[in-house]
Amino acid sequence: MLRAIRSGEVDALVVESAAGPQIYILQGLDAELNRLHAEMLAQVSDAVIAVDTEDRVVYVNAAAERLYGFAASEALGQARSNIYESRWLCPEDEAAATTALRQLGEWRGEKTHVRHDGRELNIEAGITVLREVSGQPTGVLSVIRDVTERKRHEEKVLISEIRYRRLFEAAHDGVLILDPGTRKIIDANPFMTQMLGYSHNQLIGKELFEIGLLKDEAASQEMVRKLQRVNQVRYENLPLECQGGRRQEVEVVANLYDENGSPVIQCNIRDITERRRSEEHVELLMAEVNHRAKNLLAVVQAIAHLTSKHGDPATFAARLSDRIDGLAAGQDLLVKNLWQGVEVSDLVEVQLAHFKDLIGTRVLIEGPRARLTPAAAQGIGMALHELATNAAKYGALSNIEGQVHIAWKITAATKPAFSMSWLEHGGPKVAAPTRKGFGHIVVGRMAAAAVKGSAEITFPERGLSWTLSAPAENALT
Amino acid sequence: MSPRTTMLDHQPWRVLIVEDEPILAFALEELLIESGFEIAGVAGELETALTIIESGVCDAAILDANLAGVNVGPAASVLAARGLPFLILSGYSSDQQQSTFFGALRLQKPCRPDRLIQALRSILPAQ
Repeated sequence: MLRAIRSGEVDALVVESAAGPQIYILQGLDAELNRLHAEMLAQVSDAVIAVDTEDRVVYVNAAAERLYGFAASEALGQARSNIYESRWLCPEDEAAATTALRQLGEWRGEKTHVRHDGRELNIEAGITVLREVSGQPTGVLSVIRDVTERKRHEEKVLISEIRYRRLFEAAHDGVLILDPGTRKIIDANPFMTQMLGYSHNQLIGKELFEIGLLKDEAASQEMVRKLQRVNQVRYENLPLECQGGRRQEVEVVANLYDENGSPVIQCNIRDITERRRSEEHVELLMAEVNHRAKNLLAVVQAIAHLTSKHGDPATFAARLSDRIDGLAAGQDLLVKNLWQGVEVSDLVEVQLAHFKDLIGTRVLIEGPRARLTPAAAQGIGMALHELATNAAKYGALSNIEGQVHIAWKITAATKPAFSMSWLEHGGPKVAAPTRKGFGHIVVGRMAAAAVKGSAEITFPERGLSWTLSAPAENALT
Repeated sequence: MSPRTTMLDHQPWRVLIVEDEPILAFALEELLIESGFEIAGVAGELETALTIIESGVCDAAILDANLAGVNVGPAASVLAARGLPFLILSGYSSDQQQSTFFGALRLQKPCRPDRLIQALRSILPAQ
């Protein structure tokens, strides 16, 4: 009887009861169940498609109509491949699915469906083989979920993760991630391990004070407390002791961040040893520049004071300007040579710049290559300036035929000596001056002091004669 | 003549100049002589300065803080040990200068000549 009902040989049942005979129409029950099933499938958000053994569509629910852009009436009876084209993500999936469907009658996995308008969908599908009561397959039921959006989002997150991971890995700052609750390190980038000389594993689980970054546990706790108050803490110039005892100065910036509801501390640690060194170097240079500038001003002041002793204000102003010019020219040469010394020939050329047209004719210059110390260059430079000024006013360059012969040499003895001379002839007849002015002092004892040697000035009738000599080691670099 | 040299029974103060810049040393010399002091010596190097101080010919000194890169400290130390007054002349500003030179009076280069003389007189004992 039951079998007859199941196989559809019975259409209706008549059951006797106290209320009389009740008739149950079995076809109606099936129709009612079918209607209920269809109603339920229409409500689910996943697309449901059933095909027969010929792969022809026998059922689509509302979600499937929306997903593939077909009305059920258009789809029913169509080949499934007209509704969408199905692609496997990899060939192994196809083999696995075939096996699973044959052995278990179902398969779950991800695929790509291409709609008839060409749009590609990433889907997750559950495929079940439909069978008759006899066990004979009648088709396949697919429950399909569109995961295109989720995939796209996951891909974005992955790209972002790769990108920021790369920043973290490649950064030339040390980065430590701490758990604010335990204050322990939960991640460290490669640069950090390199900086400290600890391996990644050695760093994980340690507190900052344990790797010498903060003084003690109290300091670690204080940092976390402060971070919770102000979100950022900055330490400049922390001395960091690395494994092996090497010390470096670091700057630490700690930030408290929220990562999806859970707080983390990110510490950026920058090695500022080089920066500190260069700052110190600049400070030193600035001090030196200041020192030299002040010294030069003191020299100008002294020249002004000494120049002021003779002559009227106009003469004083002219002489002072002239002397400052000479000083400036010498300064230029020293700076050009980075205060490392000055070639004698360059010095002579600069101090006789006013007479450069006469060089080679009335001003004869000869001497080997020789490099004066900065002090010697300044002293000799000022002397040459005074000698040239004097020659133009009263000496060999004050007429049209006089000559100046400037020469220097280094004599090779057991103790090499440097000597230099300025000899004039052909100028007006010379008489020794009655008083020794500033120029005389500069050419004489000041030039001598600059080379720790001696200077001599004589006034024979044919022209002024100046000689300077010193141990080479005092005058030359 | 300056008032100092007119005082009875007193020789002028003998001042040592320690300065490596010849022109500054010379200008100081001129200034001191004009102001009635005597020059005990001029030293451009630390060694020379120490020799002069130890020979006992000076009553006071003007020291350039930096002699071609050499700190004048040892000369200051010997002067302080002998109880001789001295001034420091320096091109560095005081925050750049590490040494205190035994609390000596310090003047910045360039220094006005009258201020220098005034400062020098202020550190010398009254006669």
